[in-house]
Amino acid sequence: MQNIQWEKEVDVIVLGTGGAALSAAIAAADNGASVLVLEKTHQIGGTTAYSGGVPWVPLNHYMKDQGFSDNREQVIAFIKRLTLGRAEESMIERFVDKGHEIFKFLDEEAQVRFKTPKTYPEYYRNLDEALKDGTRSLDPVPFDLNLIGDWGMHLRQNPIFPPLTLEEGGAIGSIDFTVVAERMQNNIVTMGRSLVGSLFKACLDRGVETLLNIAGKELIMGENGEVIGLIAETSEGEKKYFKANNGVILASGGFEWNKQLTKAFLKMDITHPVSPPGNEGDALMMAMKVGAALDNMSEAWWYPAMVDPTFEYEDNVMAQLGNGRNGPNSIVVNKHGRRFAHEGTTYNDLPRTFFNFDPVNIEFPNEAPVWLIFDQQLKDRELIITMTPGDPAPDWVDQAATLQELAEKVGVNAENLIDEVAKWNGYCEQQEDPDFHRGTIQFENLTGGGGNPEANLGKIEKGPFYALPIYLGALGTNGGPKIDGNGRVINFAGQPIQGLYAAGNASANPLGPIYPSAGGTIGPAMVFGFLAGEHAAKTTLVKSEV
Amino acid sequence: MPQGTHTLSVPLSIETIWEFVQDMNNWAPLVPGYIEHEILNENESTWAFKGDLGFMKKTVKLKIDIKEWNEPSAVIFDLSGLSDNFKGGGYFKAEKVSDNETLMTGNLDITAGGMMGPMVNQILVKFVPQTATELTEAIVTKLCEDNNVPV
Ligand SMILES: Cc1cc2nc3c(=O)[nH]c(=O)nc-3n(C[C@H](O)[C@H](O)[C@H](O)COP(=O)(O)OP(=O)(O)OC[C@H]3O[C@@H](n4cnc5c(N)ncnc54)[C@H](O)[C@@H]3O)c2cc1C
Repeated sequence: MQNIQWEKEVDVIVLGTGGAALSAAIAAADNGASVLVLEKTHQIGGTTAYSGGVPWVPLNHYMKDQGFSDNREQVIAFIKRLTLGRAEESMIERFVDKGHEIFKFLDEEAQVRFKTPKTYPEYYRNLDEALKDGTRSLDPVPFDLNLIGDWGMHLRQNPIFPPLTLEEGGAIGSIDFTVVAERMQNNIVTMGRSLVGSLFKACLDRGVETLLNIAGKELIMGENGEVIGLIAETSEGEKKYFKANNGVILASGGFEWNKQLTKAFLKMDITHPVSPPGNEGDALMMAMKVGAALDNMSEAWWYPAMVDPTFEYEDNVMAQLGNGRNGPNSIVVNKHGRRFAHEGTTYNDLPRTFFNFDPVNIEFPNEAPVWLIFDQQLKDRELIITMTPGDPAPDWVDQAATLQELAEKVGVNAENLIDEVAKWNGYCEQQEDPDFHRGTIQFENLTGGGGNPEANLGKIEKGPFYALPIYLGALGTNGGPKIDGNGRVINFAGQPIQGLYAAGNASANPLGPIYPSAGGTIGPAMVFGFLAGEHAAKTTLVKSEV
Repeated sequence: MPQGTHTLSVPLSIETIWEFVQDMNNWAPLVPGYIEHEILNENESTWAFKGDLGFMKKTVKLKIDIKEWNEPSAVIFDLSGLSDNFKGGGYFKAEKVSDNETLMTGNLDITAGGMMGPMVNQILVKFVPQTATELTEAIVTKLCEDNNVPV
């Protein structure tokens, strides 16, 4: 390590340009560090730009301004209720106590701004411990992309959400497409693009340097076991050495696009990552190599993904969010033609039922693809993936005049499917679903006041009948190197690895395997990214001779 | 109404150009993102291609109805989406400048309908003129190559 030709020397190196990375860069720069951000792809923003851009932040000041109250003890009890003992209390408290302070700072000092989406309640509102009035989710305010000049062209496009805010219906489908057209014309972005746009602007304002098409590959360690730099590789395959005086922050996303890693760590393979390609577990591999402890490794931000095969994103058929499984006139069945879960649970929870093992028949009966079965009434009412009400069903959607024919077409047990639909229709008549309790939870009628039989139970009776496959998807993985309350990566002895930090999907989620509500991933990613940046900037490492 | 027109000067006679343009099989593969086409009869054909919208690619199927074959100067057609809700039309026109110079113009005009129409049209505003330009240029390049004249 004696004769390294450093390409550049800075205080803090950040890998990635998503929410975790840019929050880290802002905090580090604000605390006086020189900061270099490296991004592997040709675009800034990662999954964050591609996302709804919503962070979940307990006790935030936007809520207070809207007259909603929140309570520290209640939030902690709520998070613990969801984690089922799988997260450390100190990390939960750290998140709850620091999150709102950081978002106040971002608002006041960095012009990274949000609104409380009043009409978008908490996903688990039906639980006793949940917030009943208001929401802890935050909706990025529209951002004028012209403010970041030419960088605007490099901001990752978002083919999933139109340029509307969450409250304007950007994520739920009741969309005014003329507003969308106007925003597109004027370069006004919302959701994930707005969040990344405003974070990136704050980085530019602080003199943070960003390089594209260059991936962090390997950490360079000093003799005291501390991180002193990084080897990176350009998209042309050229190696570059960067010196980091204070530390390296791994914020380069999860490993959902790396088959070797998903096979090794997850319960089942994510066949349909919903995130953009690029997150290939580079941070995880770098951290493993230097002895990081790992946590939460079998978890991901699960999503029951659907596909319109006529759409491609960066050379892959694009996995989409889909919908239609919450409301009346639809059920979800497994390959045996049987319902197996409450169809309208949160997107993170439904796929967890795909992993159930049947110890008698020795099989995973619910292994994806499972099938959304619906009738013409739903088709006439809702936008399903890209299929608009009123337009004829495209040829990639299986449809048939009878359930028997439909089941045969898609390879599902027909007798069971017919039986299951008859049972479902009976439950609709009696306005109660004793099998899986549709019509009882908040998420299945999220913005309409919560689940109830009228809103969520409706017969499947009007042909033609339709079937769409639902795949095991994920918005990202959330296992990785274990971190402490300052975002420092911990080794197997429980000690921080000096100069090494991680945040967001590149780290183990500090809240464990939970998705508490809209923003449950970006909230902790930004908070622990920020804490990592702040700590790295303030740290003076005990350096070995280089 | 997203539309685009592109004109190029070609160092070939109008008859040579007509000869090429009047048979769809000659230029179909030059359509950007071409996947396949099927000629149903003299005036009707179906097409599949993958449009590159910049931030994503979309496979579409459409039908072309030739409205006018005006030898040797124009082919005018209507188009309608089979896989998606859009319609429009276009033309190729050739205008004689001299015995071995012709102005060739390609035009495309596509409007999306339905609920998402206003949004899709914003995307088409860039895509349609770009496709009209690329197709016209590709045809001229092919014509010049086939006839051994510099582009
Ligand atoms: C459609 C969709 C909607 C979503 N909506 C929400 C939402 O509203 N709220 C919410 O909380 N969550 C949401 N999520 C999940 C959320 O987007 C992610 O969990 C979160 O953005 C991850 O942030 P991150 O900063 O950890 O990583 P990312 O945003 O993925 O950024 C990682 C970056 O690192 C880069 N990178 C990878 N390897 C390297 C390397 N070796 N060197 C340098 N750079 C590298 C990647 O290219 C990428 O740009 C959504 C996800 C999707 C797909």
